[in-house]
Amino acid sequence: MAFNYDKYLRTSKMPTLWCWGCGDGVILKSFIRAVDKLGWDKNDIALVSGIGCSGRFSSYVDMNTVHTTHGRTVAFATGIKLANPDKHVVCVAGDGDGLAIGGNHTIHGARRNIDITLILIQNFIYGLTNSQTSPTTPRGFWTVTQKVGNIDPTFDGCKLVEAAGASFVARESVTQPRKLEKVLVAALKHKGFSYVEALSNCHINLGRKNKMGSAMANLEWIDSISMPKKKWEALPEEERMNYLPTGILKQDEEAPEYCEMYEEVKKAHQGKRGKITQDDFAKKI
Amino acid sequence: MSSLMKAPANTPVWVSEERCKACDKCVAVCPAGVLAMRPDPQTVLGAMIEVVTPEACIGCNECELTCPDFAIYVADKKEFKFARLTDQAKARAEAIAANNYMKLA
Repeated sequence: MAFNYDKYLRTSKMPTLWCWGCGDGVILKSFIRAVDKLGWDKNDIALVSGIGCSGRFSSYVDMNTVHTTHGRTVAFATGIKLANPDKHVVCVAGDGDGLAIGGNHTIHGARRNIDITLILIQNFIYGLTNSQTSPTTPRGFWTVTQKVGNIDPTFDGCKLVEAAGASFVARESVTQPRKLEKVLVAALKHKGFSYVEALSNCHINLGRKNKMGSAMANLEWIDSISMPKKKWEALPEEERMNYLPTGILKQDEEAPEYCEMYEEVKKAHQGKRGKITQDDFAKKI
Repeated sequence: MSSLMKAPANTPVWVSEERCKACDKCVAVCPAGVLAMRPDPQTVLGAMIEVVTPEACIGCNECELTCPDFAIYVADKKEFKFARLTDQAKARAEAIAANNYMKLA
C-alpha cells in the first residue's frame, strides 16, 4: 500500500505547470496529506487561490476551488466562509500576492480572526512574472527591478499577522515536509484565522541570479536562514534578526471567532437577543 | 483507508515517468543511493529518474515527501521488508551526488 495523492488531485491537469523542483508541489503534497490525516471530506473544503504560481493550487486540487483576482484571496474566502460557516475554507497565496498586493486583505482577515487557513508560500520573489522585488526579498539580492542589489527592507509576515490579531501563526520550510504536514494539520484544525508561512524555493527566478541555481542549492540557503523556534530563542538578541524561526509561533484557542460572533448579529436582528454591547467581549478596545 | 493505493508486488519504491521532471531532489535526499538519473534526450532537462538499486531502499519515505510532482511512491513499512542503511549504500549515495546525481557507470 502507498498513499494515493490522486484521490485529491485533478489528474487530467498533471504533470503540474510548475518548474522542476518547485517547492509549491511539496506544499501541495503536505496539504493533501494533512487533509487526509484529518479525515475531512474533500467536498467540504473550499480552496481559494489568487494570482501567481501559488494560484495554480486551485487548478490541481479536486475540491471546491476558486481562482480569484490578485491578492484578493482572503476577501473572497471571507465571503465564502460567512455564507458557509460549516465548510472549511483554505486560502493559498504567494508572498507577493498575500503581503504586497493583498496585504490589506491579509491583515484585516487576521484582525477579524475569521476561521480561514491562509497558506502563504514564501519564496522571497515574484516568481511567475520573472524576478521582481517582493516585500520579502532579502537585501542585497539581485532582482530584475533592482539589478545592482535590493535595498528594500523585508516584511516578516508572521509578525505582521500576529500583530493584526491572527490566533494561529506558524512558519515551516519545504525542506521539512513532515513538520510542514504537522503544522498544517494544527492550522486546519484551529478555529480562527490561521496563518502558515511555508518557506519555499524558486531556484529558477530567484536562485539562478543569486548563486543558487539548483533546487538543492536554494533549499540549503533556506535551511541556513531558518531554524526551529527554540533554537532561535536561545540566540543573542542581535543575531535573531538574521534568522527566521520555524514551528508554531502563536496559538490562541480562546480568541473569539468571527463567524460565531456573526451568528449573534443575526440573532440580534431577528429579535432573539438584545443588541451587542461591550459586555459581550472580554477585550473591549 | 480509502486514500491508499495498491503497491506493485515486491517493489519498495516506484516512479511515474510521465510526471517526473528530473529535478534531482529525490536523488539528493536519498540516504542509500537507491535513486539516480539516467540520460534521456526526450525530456526537457535531458534526464529521467531511475530506481537503480531497489534492494538498498530503507523505506525512509524522504523521496516521496520531497517530490513536488507526485511522481514517486514508497511502499508501506508494514508490507515490505526494507533493507538497513549500510556504509556501502551511504558511499553510493555520496558517489551519485558527486556525479551530478547521474547514474554511476
